[in-house]
Amino acid sequence: MNRIVNHPKIVTFLMIFTTLVFALVAALPSFWPESFPMLHPLHVDTDPENMLPEDESSRVFHNQMKETLSLNDLVVLGIVNEKHPEGVFNRESLKKIYELTEYAKTLQWPDPEKPEEKIGVVEVDLLAPSTVDSMSQGGLGTVKFEWLMPSPPESDTEALAIRKKAKRIPFLNGTLISEDGKAIALYIPLTSKEVSHEVATALQEKIATYTGDEQYFITGLPVAEDTFGVEMFKQMAISAPIAMLIIFILLYLFFKKLALIISPMIVAMVSVVSTMGLLIASGNTIHIMSSMIPIFIMPIAVLDAIHILSEFFDRYQETKDRKKTILQVMKTLSGPMLYTSLTTAAGFGSLAFTPIPPVQTFGLFIAFGVMIAWFWTITFIPASIMFINKKTLENFGLKQSRHQKKDLLAGLGRTTYNHAKSILAGTLILTLVAIYGISQIRINDNPIKWFEASHPIRVADKVLNEHFGGTYMAYLSLEAETLDESANQYLPAFLKQLSADADEVQDFIPSIKDVFTSLENEAQNLAQSAQSKEDFFDRIENFVETALDAGSEEKLEAWDEILLSIDKVRQQGAIFKQPEVLNYIAELQDHLLTTGIVGKSNSLSDIVKTVHRELKLGEEQAFRIPDTSNAVAQTLITYQNSHRPQDLWHFVTPDYRMTSLWIQLKSGDNLDMEKVLVAVDQFFEENPPPQALQYRWFGLTYINSVWQEKMVTGMLYAFVGSFVIVLVMMVILFRSLLWGLLAMVPLTVTIGLIYGVIGLIGKDYDMPVAVLSSLSLGLSVDYAIHFLARSRSLQKEHGSWAKAQSAVFGDPTRAIVRNAIVVGVGFLPLLAAPLVPYQTVGVFIAAILFTAGVATILILPALIRIMEPWLFKKGQK
Amino acid sequence: MKIMKFYSSMIVGLAFFAFATTTWAGETLSVDMIVKKTIGASYYSGKDGRAQVSMTMKDSQGRKRKRRFTILRRNVTEQTGGDQQFYVYFHRPADVNKTVFMVWKKVEQQDERWLYLPALDLVKRIAAGDERTSFVGSDFFYEDVSGRGFDEDKHTLLETTDNYYVVENRPKNPKAVEFSTYTAWIHKKTFLPVKIIYYNNRNEEYRVYEVLKVGTVQGYPTITQARMKDLRTKSETLISYSKVQYDIGLPQEIFTERYLRNPPRKYLR
Repeated sequence: MNRIVNHPKIVTFLMIFTTLVFALVAALPSFWPESFPMLHPLHVDTDPENMLPEDESSRVFHNQMKETLSLNDLVVLGIVNEKHPEGVFNRESLKKIYELTEYAKTLQWPDPEKPEEKIGVVEVDLLAPSTVDSMSQGGLGTVKFEWLMPSPPESDTEALAIRKKAKRIPFLNGTLISEDGKAIALYIPLTSKEVSHEVATALQEKIATYTGDEQYFITGLPVAEDTFGVEMFKQMAISAPIAMLIIFILLYLFFKKLALIISPMIVAMVSVVSTMGLLIASGNTIHIMSSMIPIFIMPIAVLDAIHILSEFFDRYQETKDRKKTILQVMKTLSGPMLYTSLTTAAGFGSLAFTPIPPVQTFGLFIAFGVMIAWFWTITFIPASIMFINKKTLENFGLKQSRHQKKDLLAGLGRTTYNHAKSILAGTLILTLVAIYGISQIRINDNPIKWFEASHPIRVADKVLNEHFGGTYMAYLSLEAETLDESANQYLPAFLKQLSADADEVQDFIPSIKDVFTSLENEAQNLAQSAQSKEDFFDRIENFVETALDAGSEEKLEAWDEILLSIDKVRQQGAIFKQPEVLNYIAELQDHLLTTGIVGKSNSLSDIVKTVHRELKLGEEQAFRIPDTSNAVAQTLITYQNSHRPQDLWHFVTPDYRMTSLWIQLKSGDNLDMEKVLVAVDQFFEENPPPQALQYRWFGLTYINSVWQEKMVTGMLYAFVGSFVIVLVMMVILFRSLLWGLLAMVPLTVTIGLIYGVIGLIGKDYDMPVAVLSSLSLGLSVDYAIHFLARSRSLQKEHGSWAKAQSAVFGDPTRAIVRNAIVVGVGFLPLLAAPLVPYQTVGVFIAAILFTAGVATILILPALIRIMEPWLFKKGQK
Repeated sequence: MKIMKFYSSMIVGLAFFAFATTTWAGETLSVDMIVKKTIGASYYSGKDGRAQVSMTMKDSQGRKRKRRFTILRRNVTEQTGGDQQFYVYFHRPADVNKTVFMVWKKVEQQDERWLYLPALDLVKRIAAGDERTSFVGSDFFYEDVSGRGFDEDKHTLLETTDNYYVVENRPKNPKAVEFSTYTAWIHKKTFLPVKIIYYNNRNEEYRVYEVLKVGTVQGYPTITQARMKDLRTKSETLISYSKVQYDIGLPQEIFTERYLRNPPRKYLR
């Protein structure tokens, strides 16, 4: 410490130098990526999917299914016309919708990374009135296939005709056009989520050129996520500097010396820059979580400095010697400061044990930032005091304004002494209420709700979910269970079936027996060498096809028949063509509607039923699954004679062994998603499927519920873990189990109360709330450390708690109060952030710090009063 | 112009062309003549014809589906570019076996189409808003199977290379089609279009047809293998013709509703 105080310039230089290094390794590759290929440039990531590790099984499955069924993330553009009696089904509105669709198709551009590939809107899968087919009756015995809206309607009557056609098609009704027939939604698929903001912005620009009664709403999770990224930067650019300014003003009010309070601000800056520099340089992304790092570090970084300055402020006038005073201050405070920093770092560091990568990063880097702040606080703050001109400090810390405050605190101290039992009783009652509150906690999150209720995305979400079956997509995949059977094991069954088929046609095709015999021989050979059943089928079919093309005229028919027979056997695995399976899916869909959360679902069954109805004169009773799997196949081949044959493969794989239901939820709340999950589990339990099926969920809404679940349990473990670590540290610090436990009391009460309140007021336990538990743990123990450390030493000095308490309620308590105010208020600028998670963090941190401060200075002295005989038993000698 | 390429030697037609232009000199052939001859070579060879067709559709993930069908074609009139009838009988996949698709292609009016679905025992007439819908889920369109009429596009000869006439075709009614133009590379000797590229209204390629194999059947240059790629869906369909025959004397009554339920087995093997 002496050396530091004697060489302040060296300390300052070292600090500036290391900070610059951190800043440069991050800044250089971000601005000149070509020149510094070995360094990591700045990378922004707003994808909540990344809340799960990339190799997490549900995420892997989600991506795999998106690929298998060629599903893309969507931007949803809803168009509503509240003025026109028929909604958007009028000539003018549909003309605009047509134009917007044409415009949306053009929103593609070459991928900067792979110029031969295009990114942007996936034109072929765009769902709009002018890009989907309609199926209808076209006169006697005729079924008509055509574009639903090949060109903008010429009259309002034509517009109404379009609505009538669309309403008859279940796939479109409630998805493309609203159930009330007033609104239209365009589903604009994207090559990747990353382009959604660009696409949404381009659409908004186009929309801005329109006049008329139509209202336009853009939504969809990808847009929400991308917009979040943009708002995130606003938060960093606005809230963080405001926090800095407010802390600065508060410090000035307390210490009235500009020269003195500059140094804590510098420490805060240095800590933030170093941490963010390291974050970027280590290849981590700026994520929803990590974007909050600066605003967390800043108030924490000034914490210790406030203790130093406070102590310095109080003692300087005793000696009027900078060096002596600061050395004395540092001696008193270095122990508590090290421990408060370590506990805070431990609290955040415990987040590394959560299963959510962005939360791990967040925790570890804040822990790093806290220790950086500690290091420069104990070095640079004393050093900086040596720079201050003696004259400037002349009237520093003169005790003029201190008396009233002292009276107030002294009064408080007496109260804790005289009414210790009442205080503890009150605490107990509050704790019980808090426990009840905690039992009421509702775990829920919804990325759309990360925006304020007035944000255009929230508004769009509300309006569109009023009109449509729901804009939150979840997918339920059903897959046939595959028998683990080799081609060789399968061979007898295969030959048996073929032989039976051959017997049947023997009368018409006498040569079939010969042909069957040569096939049998070949099949036995192939079954030995085939890799799998599929491979076996491919090879045996090849064999027959060759024979067919080369064979003699009289055997031709027999080979053809055999080939048909093989294909028939092969198709037995195509279970999603089987009527009973399709009917089962339809029942499942009906069951989903009873949840009240699912607004609508689309499945292969709906397609089959719709086509079947139109083939059967459009009669309602024909809206059913036909009776045989051949009839299903023929219905589907008819369906594929459309402009969009590829639509079918979004619902089922070409081998018809895996299908997926599109489920439209009216809410993106995890809680609601979970209700649907339960409903499906229940359905499968009560209604065994006609074929062995495996079901599994995917889709963004589902993914969100997965990481939410992990977050909650992960946070709980992290919290318990860090609680134990902090307790151990306390026991070591105070060299007493009893004191260690005592130090844990205020934070336990604080956390209990905060979470109790969350439960009582019905605030959802979401991502930011979960993160706060570790924060409160790390921060609120600080006050207890300072309070108890000082109490113990003052007790030694004064001999009894009755006497010591008035000293404790002097300078040490004042430092705690100052701290709670500075840091608590320092977080409040988060309220100005446009995003709800930041606001939540702002409010709750302020509340935590306030509660922790109050709990420390009320409960601890009351406990000490009651437990005095045990606490100071040995310390008295 | 494309799938069915029953070449027409068109004795009558050839004589006419020979008289009107210098066929082999090529350069003096007008673009309209080139296109007419192409349509003839692609769709009108012989009085009638048949082929066994196997179609392999491959999607962007490399998953394959196969279809096998027989296609019968009959020219209603003697003249190239006139009305025609098609009868398409599906052998496989097994579950669509015996499904029949029939077209009466009419130059002056809308085509008539029928579909017979055996499992539903149903004959349906099909009305379509346009000809540019998928042919049984493949990357080929109906119009690729039956041929696009000469008068539907305006034709421009872009260039003549050693082997090809490069012809750009622009639709007269752009609203009825999804392309803005398509360019065909027409082989100078056979008049078969060996490559066709379709462009969208942003002038980007999105659909490519390529002939992979050509043979000669009964003196008619005949495409035996071709491929259609859709660059948007990244899928492609390979089509192969075997047992191609011309002038087999297909009876007129085969191409009627009655024969949908009772396929003419003799011609389908």
